[in-house]
Amino acid sequence: MEQNRPLAQGAGTNLVVNVYNDRVEFVSGWQGQTVVAVGLRQVVDAAVRGVINATLTVETNDGRRINVERMALPDARQIKATIERQKKTAGLYE
Amino acid sequence: MRRFVLLTMAVLMLVAAVPGLALAQEEAPPTVEEMVLAVDTLWVIVAAMLVIFMQAGFAMLEVGFSRMKNVGSVVAKILAMMGIGIVMFWAIGFGLTFSDGGGLNPIIGTGGFFLTGDAETYAGLAWTAVPVSAKFLFQVAFALVSLAIVWGTMLERTKFAVYCIFAVVFAGLIYPIVGHWIWGGGWLAGFGMQDFAGSTVVHLSGAMAALAGTLLLGPRIGKYDDEGRPQSIAGHNMPLAVLGVIILWIGWFGFNPGSTMAAVGASFADIALTTNLAAGAGVLGAMLMSYAYRRHVDVGMAGNGAIAALVAITAACAFVDPWASIVIGFVAGIIMYSVLIFVDSIGVDDPLGAIAAHGMGGIWGTLSTGLFATPALVESTGVGNPGLFYGGGFAQLGVQALGIVACGGFVFLVSYGVFAALKATIGLRVKPEQELDGLDISEHGVYGYSEQLIATDYQNGSGGSSIPDPINSRRTAGGTA
Repeated sequence: MEQNRPLAQGAGTNLVVNVYNDRVEFVSGWQGQTVVAVGLRQVVDAAVRGVINATLTVETNDGRRINVERMALPDARQIKATIERQKKTAGLYE
Repeated sequence: MRRFVLLTMAVLMLVAAVPGLALAQEEAPPTVEEMVLAVDTLWVIVAAMLVIFMQAGFAMLEVGFSRMKNVGSVVAKILAMMGIGIVMFWAIGFGLTFSDGGGLNPIIGTGGFFLTGDAETYAGLAWTAVPVSAKFLFQVAFALVSLAIVWGTMLERTKFAVYCIFAVVFAGLIYPIVGHWIWGGGWLAGFGMQDFAGSTVVHLSGAMAALAGTLLLGPRIGKYDDEGRPQSIAGHNMPLAVLGVIILWIGWFGFNPGSTMAAVGASFADIALTTNLAAGAGVLGAMLMSYAYRRHVDVGMAGNGAIAALVAITAACAFVDPWASIVIGFVAGIIMYSVLIFVDSIGVDDPLGAIAAHGMGGIWGTLSTGLFATPALVESTGVGNPGLFYGGGFAQLGVQALGIVACGGFVFLVSYGVFAALKATIGLRVKPEQELDGLDISEHGVYGYSEQLIATDYQNGSGGSSIPDPINSRRTAGGTA
């Protein structure tokens, strides 16, 4: 159970982001019924824009851009940092 | 022997009576002025206790409209707000609100901090003769009510630290500035704005701060579906919510009639009457709207109708006739329901309906004074001019509207700035996992109810073992590396 806990979490408008060891999940909808999971190998870039209502943008290698809008800046930064750390740890940037 | 006993008893009675006689000679009977002051002070203290008791009403209302997993955080927040609010208002808020600011007086008071001033220091309250301590107790209860309103919209997802930091700014600066403008001899008082007990100062201020915070905070998880349609997140205990409404209703008998800050020669019974009539009419207005909109009578909305009406009559209670208070209350109930539906539909998640009840109720109540204020009551109160329907023209209505825009705009902008700074630094809301688990356990380490009774939302990774794993069963895209 413990290893299923997310390493980092944040909430934007109508969307929750969870970062796990190997994937990023975007949860939305009534009682979190819609879950989009993106493997860290597929993540090309994670970027944060804005200060008060920050937007976290996750780009994937198949051309998708997933925006999480109106996040708190500390949450967005933590998620970006966690994604980058996990990719480095796993050597996924080579 | 019998003579000796009689003599002894006579001596003992004399000894017992002498101190009483001596004291009676030292203390003259109280004068009429002293008796009047004592009765006035007693009334103000009783009214202050009633208004402070409204915190229990807010607690029950918020508990009733929250889910079980968050009730402990609600009551913890109420207690913390009372503590911070009382100390901040004592330290600087009361002085900023009611002292004479000299050249700055149109904007803010500048003396009497830490309650060190005397009756002359607090010029904004010089019209009442009760002691400064009684004035403070009554006014700090008002500040606490305004602060409590802020959080009704931000339930179930806000960090405890945010409550505490914002309370310092609100009770110490934001509320006192607006209070000074209208009640402390500031620029709106100079225009003759009529806000007898605080539809604008207390309720609109609280609601505008709440709106600013809610816009930055965002809705609770699950409030809106993927298409952005609002979903109902029901509170867990309607009897508690209604108990809260009734406690608030009773507390309002301190709030409005107590604002006379005098019992002798004041019309507090008339004010209690208008207050009560408006509340009753507000329930009916909200029930009617509820039935017309959904074909059933919503208990929570009926309670919010009473609150909206009480908020609305707060400004007008001393200026209007009883029939007008019924009109004001009924319209407030209708407006509250309409605004609640609108606010929900534009993506602002307000679990308690505070923006509709306190915000729109405050706006309508402040405007209604400019419509329904009678010449006789305006003359006896000595503030402003009669309303539009009594031949007063648009002058008073314009002043009321100016007050709404100025106070509402000021509170919204400053609160937005404070909440924005908090969001950019520590963040306003708890982590999603904590929100789904409930704030009781994540923020305070205990449950509000027995653990077996708590229903938390299921979630990835930390849900109960009996709950299906939504990741593995519903993964829709991508894949793990």
